[in-house]
Amino acid sequence: MKRLSRGLRTLADCAPIANAKAPDRRMRTAVSRAKRIEGFGAQQSFDRAVAKLVQATPVSPEIQEWFANEKMAEGAKRNWRKTALHPAILAIGIALAVIAVVAWIKFDEQMHAFPGTATAKKLLNVAAMTRPSELEPMQTEAGTLNDLFFMKYRLEHYDVPPEFSQQRTIGVRVFDDDEAGQVAQISLAEKRMQLFLFPARRDSKTGQPEEFEGWRYIEQEGWTGAVKARKGILFMAAVRGTKKDLAPYLATKPQLR
Amino acid sequence: MFTRAVGFDHISWRRYLHRPNSLLPVVSVAAQNLPQLYRFCFLMTGEASKAQDIFQDTLREAAFLAANGEPPADRCWFFREARWRCLDVVAHGVQPEHGASELTEVSPQAPEQIEQLEPEQLAIWISAAPEPQRSALALYYLDEFNYREMMSMLGLKLNELSRAIASGRREFQAWLNATVPAAAPE
Repeated sequence: MKRLSRGLRTLADCAPIANAKAPDRRMRTAVSRAKRIEGFGAQQSFDRAVAKLVQATPVSPEIQEWFANEKMAEGAKRNWRKTALHPAILAIGIALAVIAVVAWIKFDEQMHAFPGTATAKKLLNVAAMTRPSELEPMQTEAGTLNDLFFMKYRLEHYDVPPEFSQQRTIGVRVFDDDEAGQVAQISLAEKRMQLFLFPARRDSKTGQPEEFEGWRYIEQEGWTGAVKARKGILFMAAVRGTKKDLAPYLATKPQLR
Repeated sequence: MFTRAVGFDHISWRRYLHRPNSLLPVVSVAAQNLPQLYRFCFLMTGEASKAQDIFQDTLREAAFLAANGEPPADRCWFFREARWRCLDVVAHGVQPEHGASELTEVSPQAPEQIEQLEPEQLAIWISAAPEPQRSALALYYLDEFNYREMMSMLGLKLNELSRAIASGRREFQAWLNATVPAAAPE
């Protein structure tokens, strides 16, 4: 005589009688194999007889009458509003909304990112923390400083773009940064704006500076920077405020001297 | 009985159920299972009057929950609630002696033996079984729940549930043999 494995025997002992359905494949397998075993037929007959006796239990007539003709579905039905306001659903909804907002912010950041974004953001922090006394006093037009950078520091193409070339400077300094390399920092009299010139990031394969077209904005902790790439050098104008504070400078056409 | 249970004696239960703010959701969960719920209480207690009381109390509790905006979610709630009430009631009653029960393999003549029994006899036998065997047998022979639902309601592992039912069968067969001996084969 064949024997059932212990696991299947365990399942077969609680095999569905008649009305209860097997909830899973394991139970169906156990029942189908148990049917080949002597004794399982007797067990099923026994169970059916006991279940029949249970169903024959007299039920109070009131209980039978009350609900005999009612069409009632099983389970408490919830409308969509109640379902939506369930704390668990609400919590999941809020979490999904937060995730969506964060994902959108990240996506937006990536869309507006440009080569050198991280360095530019770091220099925005530098702009926020720089005191005027840290800079060498220099009162001149910003556009003339390229000669100083080249002659004194051997920094080639550290040119202030025409949009800012006529701004009056109040101080200047050149410093080495771990990430940015040699950075030229210029402080302007107007709106205490600060200009930065630093090398563009280089492509690891070609060694060519990674450049981009036009002005790109970055924002961090109340400061806004407008960045432009030219001849392997990034220029950034930084101001405490929003894009609106920088936009007028970028829109103005440089005057010819 | 239901109207009395929820405290609305002055209106019929049918009129009450069809009011917009009725407890229909609660009742609808249990509607198809009400006779089964009663039978479960009967198997657990072995006494019709106790079963009736527990049945009423369970529905009353469901009604209160529904009135507080938290109606029972599924039919299992009713049976779980009724089970605790049955155990509480039985614990305060006369306790059966739980000695080493005789075990006999299920006999092919068992159906004929069982046919000679009254439902009350079965209920008394099951209600005298120790926990969790009593609850397992009561739920199993209602033929209403699958083994997963029973495990969930009783908080048992599969092997515990299986052992309770299997040993219950053999013990009941031994009791059957003593109570209604099978006719000798011709």
